Amino acid sequence: MPSARSQRVFVAAIGLLGSAVFVTLALRHLDFRAVLSTWGSARVLPWVPLAIMSYVIGHFIRGQRLRVLVRRETILTLSTATNVVVVGYASNNVFPARLGEFVRAGMLAERTGMPLSQSLTITFIERLLDGIAILVLLLVGALSLGTRPEWIWNVARVGSLVFGAALAVVLVAVFLPSVVLATASRLSARLGARWRDRVLTLATSITVAGAVLRRPRDAMAICAYSLIVWLFEAMMFAFILPVFSLDLHLAPALVAMSVTNLGILAPSSPGFVGSFHFFCSQALASQGVPAATAMGYAIVVHLAFYVPVTLWGAGAILWYGIQVGATAAMARAARSSPKTDTVSGVPVHVIARLEPARVPRDASAFDVALTEALLTPHGNALDRAALVEVATFLTQEMEALPARLRVMFEAGMATFRFYVRLRYVRSFCALDLERRRAAVNSWAFGRVGLLRQLFRPVRSIALLAYYERADVARALALGTNG
Amino acid sequence: MLIVGSGAGGAVTALELARAGLDVCVLEQGARWKLDQYGQGSVEAMRRIYRRRGMTPILGRVPVGYVEGACVGGSTEINSGFWHRTPREVLLQWKAQFDLGEATPAELEPHFASAEELLGVSLYGGPQPKSTTVFRRGIDAMGWAAQEVPRAAPGCKSTNACAAGCPTGSKQGMSRRVLPEAEAAGARLVTDCGVQLLVHHGDRITGVLAEVRRDDGTRELVRIDAEHVFVCAGPTETPALLRRSGIKHHVGDSLRIHPMLKVAALFPEQIDAQDSVLPLLQVKEFWPEVSLGGAFFTPGHLAMLLSDNWLQTREQMSRYRNMASYYVAVRGSGRGSVRPSLLGDGAPVLRYELSDEDVINLSKGLARLATLLLAAGATQVHPTVQGLPTIRKEVEAIRWLDERLPRSALSLTTVHAFSSCPIGERRDRCAADSFGKVHRYQNLYVNDASMLPDSPGVNPQGSVMALARRNAVHFSEALR
Repeated sequence: MPSARSQRVFVAAIGLLGSAVFVTLALRHLDFRAVLSTWGSARVLPWVPLAIMSYVIGHFIRGQRLRVLVRRETILTLSTATNVVVVGYASNNVFPARLGEFVRAGMLAERTGMPLSQSLTITFIERLLDGIAILVLLLVGALSLGTRPEWIWNVARVGSLVFGAALAVVLVAVFLPSVVLATASRLSARLGARWRDRVLTLATSITVAGAVLRRPRDAMAICAYSLIVWLFEAMMFAFILPVFSLDLHLAPALVAMSVTNLGILAPSSPGFVGSFHFFCSQALASQGVPAATAMGYAIVVHLAFYVPVTLWGAGAILWYGIQVGATAAMARAARSSPKTDTVSGVPVHVIARLEPARVPRDASAFDVALTEALLTPHGNALDRAALVEVATFLTQEMEALPARLRVMFEAGMATFRFYVRLRYVRSFCALDLERRRAAVNSWAFGRVGLLRQLFRPVRSIALLAYYERADVARALALGTNG
Repeated sequence: MLIVGSGAGGAVTALELARAGLDVCVLEQGARWKLDQYGQGSVEAMRRIYRRRGMTPILGRVPVGYVEGACVGGSTEINSGFWHRTPREVLLQWKAQFDLGEATPAELEPHFASAEELLGVSLYGGPQPKSTTVFRRGIDAMGWAAQEVPRAAPGCKSTNACAAGCPTGSKQGMSRRVLPEAEAAGARLVTDCGVQLLVHHGDRITGVLAEVRRDDGTRELVRIDAEHVFVCAGPTETPALLRRSGIKHHVGDSLRIHPMLKVAALFPEQIDAQDSVLPLLQVKEFWPEVSLGGAFFTPGHLAMLLSDNWLQTREQMSRYRNMASYYVAVRGSGRGSVRPSLLGDGAPVLRYELSDEDVINLSKGLARLATLLLAAGATQVHPTVQGLPTIRKEVEAIRWLDERLPRSALSLTTVHAFSSCPIGERRDRCAADSFGKVHRYQNLYVNDASMLPDSPGVNPQGSVMALARRNAVHFSEALR
């Protein structure tokens, strides 16, 4: 086994070698005098500050995305979450071979108390979403360009393959957690208890980390944030175009940003020196920009990309007192054997911490409106508090359905709401009670068996909850409620 | 010894093994509730003591509503406590079809007797509730064979809270006496501990992976090691756990149920079924294919019964004090399956397809039940069949002797599920041997309703407890 030191030397050497290759590729045939000349005529203000501002805003949005990703585990402030992100970026600017991702995961683990394997998985999910967002923006940019070089499609194809495969792995971990655990248990059966526990710890951390993506609303928010983050990064690339008297257009910036960020996935020196410049200048040159201008552009973008965030990250590291040694210590702690504990006096081996139990959801406006339509007899009005209570019970009951049935039910209800919007040109909640009741009854007691089945459990649970109320039973007995 | 589940099978297993001096630990997914937390109404009970809040439907062309308990004591905490010994012909059938060894009435006698003594099984001692007397009136009018069913509820106070946990402690759910006695004999009970996987190495189970919820609400995945594991998690969770763990040989392939069709009957006189224990009589004239009996009744449950034809029947809610509910249960000759869901938490996905025979029996059963109730003086009978809101005359009832109820219009329920891991010496159709030892494994056993080879045709708690005790005694004797 190679020692840790030799491993580090090997990683650094690979990075430096990669950078050397890209520097050679970027600089060959380059007219240095022409590059200097483009710098001489560059218009720094107001474009470079705008570019930096755009990049900084992008980091705050990354921080917000991280908050959503970890909110089942802990509550992070926006500033802490953003600093975690920035420390990762800054570390990538200082360490070779993207070791900054580990620093970022280590700091996230330290700030939240979650296992390192879990924070690494969250970092992986972030970067995967970044990759997919970049690919989407690359396609948008390429389709908007007049010239569409073949190599862009090749990059898109390779990127789709890589990120598609990674996405498939993440989706399995997120949506089939019991399968992941069972598979890990089976595969590690012969490793002995200690290693099997480690494998199970890792598998559980991965499934727990992805749990947030099981909530459609959170998943959509995270995807949206990912796109916005990279739009802001593309704006940084766009704002530097006028520095070199190029037209301020988003499409070439989208292509340059996407190609550059996909390109710097290759191992290189700290700060992506060489690879950044090569891919950025090539992306611009392929759109007809002279090579010297493209290289001048790449150098300025790299400085805007490198300097502020590295300084910010250094400050954050100082502020939080995080050191690489502490992160390494945390990683070692995370690797130590699972602890032994007791539960009700029974000895157990703790494998992993799980995500907190799901908090039952309150009734939405739709749930209340639906419940009212299901329950209200003609001419009578229901007590609002009772209605909300019944609707909440109904909501939580339907949430308790096994996953597959819940998905089917929610799809059915989404279809019903869509039907109502088409039929009445208004949302269900905006309809008066009579129309809501008519819409519900047309499905619940209509001719189509599937639609009747959709409403059967909803109706019977709402009725159960309503008529189980003591006040309703009393009113019934007195003949004042029907 | 790890015992997964504390229901009728798990509690008895724990008691017998602890009495034999073995180191026993019972892992229960649900919580332990006190008596004063029981009887809080159906809504609160669903939240607290029902598995998935009562949302565990059985899928099929005709979906069947199914509920089971998920608390210390399992489904014995929410059932009516009706007690039957396994009928002789059923045992003979199991012997013939599954080669179930040493399970004759004589051999099971001490096990039934022990359970009956523990639970104080007896006939209801108080005045017969009105919902029972009107039912008897109908039975007498028809001249059919019937019996008052003994219950594991000595001194029942008739609070009508069976399905929400008996708050008086009369009904002997497993949490009342069996589990406390097991604990007194040395068994340890861990609550809020849901077993996710069995950990096995070759043909031995070395322990389980379980999800435990700590007092502060945090959850952890833990490994608990064991020499022997008894899976008694119930007819749906046991096969799901085994299959999640890669144990699939005849596991979860043969779920059987007693499909049940309910009716609400309106009488001229006040019944006040919501204030008394459910009807205690069962009509056995048409057994084993069809049984008729009384169902749990509250205004909320009545509304559920009427909900299939709500637009026509909702006015009846104001007469709920004159109403009571009854059921037709058929033995169930269809087949079902239990599979762990791939999506989400691996919860069991239940499937059951009604056979044509089931539909015919349900149709005939409805005809007979409605006839009986009309003969008892009911003026209206409302079955849970969409599009068939009310039966008012005998002629409207008896048509279902010849006709089949429309399959797609049936709203069925059941509280009896079993046979998802049948035991017996027939390896070609059984998951475990005659004493519950899972085929191909040295130290893994099933010992709950899932082990019943086939439908018992009666409320299954007695069969489960007697067979579980027999298996536990056999195990401890073999260990010696």
